[in-house]
Order: sequence, then structure tokens, then C-alpha cells
Amino acid sequence: MPFDPASSKEDVSEEAPSPHGTDELLRLLVDAVEDYAIFVLAPDGHVLTWNPGAERAKGYTAGEIIGRHFSVFYTPEERDAGRPAWLLGQAAEHGRVEDEGWRVRKDGTRFWADVILTAIRDRSGTLLGVAKITRDLTERRQAQEQEQRLLAEQHAREAAEEALNERDRFLSIASHELKTPVAILQLAAEQLLRAADSGRLDETRLTTGTRRILRSTQRLTALVDELLDVSALSREQGPVTRTPTDVVALVEEVVARFADAAGPDRIRVEAPETATVGGDPSRLDQVITNLVDNALKYSPSDEPVEVRVVDEPDRVGIIVADRGIGLEEATEARLFEAFSRGANAGHVPGLGLGLFITHQIVERHGGRIEGGAGPDGVGATFRVWLPKDVA
Amino acid sequence: MSRRITRVLVVEDDTTLHETLAEVSVDEGHDVRAAAHGREALEHLDGWEPDVILLDLMMPTMDAFAFRARQQQLGIAAASQTIVISAAHNLEAAAERLEADGWIAKPFGLDQVVGMVDRLLERAS
Repeated sequence: MPFDPASSKEDVSEEAPSPHGTDELLRLLVDAVEDYAIFVLAPDGHVLTWNPGAERAKGYTAGEIIGRHFSVFYTPEERDAGRPAWLLGQAAEHGRVEDEGWRVRKDGTRFWADVILTAIRDRSGTLLGVAKITRDLTERRQAQEQEQRLLAEQHAREAAEEALNERDRFLSIASHELKTPVAILQLAAEQLLRAADSGRLDETRLTTGTRRILRSTQRLTALVDELLDVSALSREQGPVTRTPTDVVALVEEVVARFADAAGPDRIRVEAPETATVGGDPSRLDQVITNLVDNALKYSPSDEPVEVRVVDEPDRVGIIVADRGIGLEEATEARLFEAFSRGANAGHVPGLGLGLFITHQIVERHGGRIEGGAGPDGVGATFRVWLPKDVA
Repeated sequence: MSRRITRVLVVEDDTTLHETLAEVSVDEGHDVRAAAHGREALEHLDGWEPDVILLDLMMPTMDAFAFRARQQQLGIAAASQTIVISAAHNLEAAAERLEADGWIAKPFGLDQVVGMVDRLLERAS
């Protein structure tokens, strides 16, 4: 019997005179503890002792459990997995083992337990039994889960707030961008009417006014297209339909489209005969169009814009370089976010969605896009890499 | 009104809008200058004091707030009537912060601008 008060009576009487031996005190202590189940198992796992804490935690009285195997405290899954025997073995081998997990009460309910098993040996090293201290951590675990739930809720709230802020930012930019051309439409139309009423409507006025109206409607159309495009892109999920697409032919088409507005020699193209990728031709056209459009918009009209196509064994690169205002460091980090605009961009009409859209398209093609300063630190260079494999 | 020609400064970054506003003012018989942002506007104010400043809120280089701060600091065009023009949803509060004399939300009609300019000039005279 490991807790036999008689075994060390002599030592106690020498050190601290007491009506009881220390072993008796220890037994009283163990009996008084209600928050911990403290009991001893025989080396084969049968229950030898029981305390009120154990009764409280597990629901068995001493009479019911002493002599039964301690595997009844484990869930069927853990019993099947051989967990009780393994823990006993660990305690015997290493002297001590700690475990956390679900345990089963007499009534079948479960509780989350922290368990320490400690081997008890006599002086010669013979294993007398295993002391088992079990603490019910269900409340603590629930508190932790609650804390995690609250934290998750807080994250969700923050994300929702961020989404709201983004929406506000969007509304403010969209309203500014949309209302300015509407203001021009209204003013120009009223101005024409007024001039007509007062007999001052000459040809110059008529042409200027009408041109302004046309330009504003074009601007509004472009803005609405941009918005619809973002909405379409967010609806289209998954990879794009990939058809063999010649990037060089696309680049030439896009450049031809810009040639009138940009002037004959401003856009310089350097490309092989062909460079084919698997992709959606109209979306890739959009990527090239956006990059060339940006390069033209953000650089002086007398500086060239260079478009290079690079054909590599497993990928094709499209490199668009300008010698314009370049990218500020803060801008570079947020380059591909929606509604972000370089602080140095000044007022270039648009919603700030171009690179966001471009980035989305490139990613959906399994490609990569990066933007940075030009090779000599002048202007901005954008590189798009598209994989060749037609998946 | 028997007084000298009204001077108007249009400060607006959108080229088409500032051209149109300037033309409208010219049609009204005003002496008009236009600026694309606050800094350009300050250059105009060097030795020229407009009766009315039509001021856009959001502009590159120097926005309305920076412009007003500098203008007040320099003590120039102190008697000018300032009308803030913007699509911002918090325009009234912005106009108040700018100590502007009036504000017009975009989009707006010709009569609104002309009307407000006339009203402010009458009040000032």
C-alpha cells in the first residue's frame, strides 16, 4: 500500500511531533481536495484509491470505482486507440506524463481534463503504482473558446468596417468622377441654349459646346464601363477559358488603336514574330490596353512609351515602360488595390480601378504582374508574365 | 449695378469644367482668370484681387484647404467672396471649415452659379 501511514512513522516523530504521521496528513489533504481528482492506479491500471475530488469530477463513489480499470474514464475512440495503456506505459518509462483531452463521467457526459500521471516506485525501483491527478478544465476551455469566438467576431467586425470604409471611399471617388462630367453636360447645354436665346449662338460656340457635351458623355461611358467591368470580374470565378492567343498580335492591335491619339512614333514595340499563351484574348487585350493607356497618361507627350514582348520557354512577358512621373514608394505598395491612386498622379480622370482590374485578369491567367521604377530610375515599368501552358 | 467689371477667379482642376465656367463668367461680362489648382490660383492673386473665387475642393498639387490656409496666411484677396464647388457629400461642412461665403454642389446649373455670384456681390457691395 503506497499510502500506508505506518511505513514512515518513525521519521515523522523525529522531525515534527504530531498526533498523526505525515502520511496520515497527506491522506487527509488528498481527501480534502475537491478541485482535483487524485487517485492511485495499480501498475496494470486498476483503480486503488479515490478522493472526493475524483468523485466530484468523475461521478463515481469510491465503492463503485476501486478495483475497476481506469480506461472507463476514456472515450470509446481513445480506448480503441489504446490511449490509456499508452499513457500508463509513458508514465512507467519516463516517470511522468501529462495529457489533455476529453474524459467521460459516470453519467456519460464528457469534460475537458488536464491529467498528470506519475510513476510511484519503491527504493529498489519496483513500480508500485501510478498516481493520477486530473483537473476539470472544461470551464477554462469554454472560456478560451469564448475568447476565441469574441476575437473572431471582432475580426469580422473590423473587416466589415474596412469594407464600409472602402465603400465610402469608392462612393466619394465615384461621385466626384461621375458628377464632374454631369456638371459639364448641364453647363454646356444651358450655355448653348442661352446663347441661342440671345442670338449669340455662332458656329464656334456651337462646336465647342457640342464637343464638350460629347467628351463628357464619353467620359461617363468609360466610367460606367470601368464599374461594370469590376462587377463582372468579381462575378466570374475560377480560371479563365484558355485559348491559344498570340500576345504579339494583341500588342500590335492595341498599339494601332492608340497610334492616332499618341502620335505616330510615341509607342515603340519590340517583339518576336509570335508569342503564344493560353488565355482569354479579350481580357489580355484589356491588360495591354490598360498598361499602355497608363504609360501614355502618366508621361509627357514627347516621351516615348516602350512595349516589349519576351518569349521564354514556358512563359511570355509583356513589358511596358514609360519615362513619366514614376511611382512613389507609398504608391508602389498599393499599386494593385482598388481605388488607389498615386499621390503624384494629379487629376487623371478615372476611378483608380485600371491596375486593380489588370491585376485580377493576370492572376486569373495564373500569371504575375509587377510594377516599379524604370531601369535608370526614370518613369515606371510594368512587367506581366503569363504562363504558356494551355490548361 | 453701377460699378466696375466684376473679377472672377475660377480654381478647378478639370480643364473642361474650368473652361466652361470661365466662359459662362465671360458671357456675364466678368473679367475672368482660371487656375487648375491652388498654387496657380495664388500666382493669379499676386497683384490681382478678384471679387469672387469659384473654388473646387479636391485638386492636385494644392487643394482648397491648403490654398485657403496660404491665402489667409499671406492676407491676400481677403475681401474676395469664396464659393466652394464640389461633388463631396460633406460639402457644407467643408465650406464652413474653409470659411467660404457659399457653396454649390456638383452637378449644378448655370443659373445657380450666376445667381450665387450676383447675390454675394450684392451683399458685399
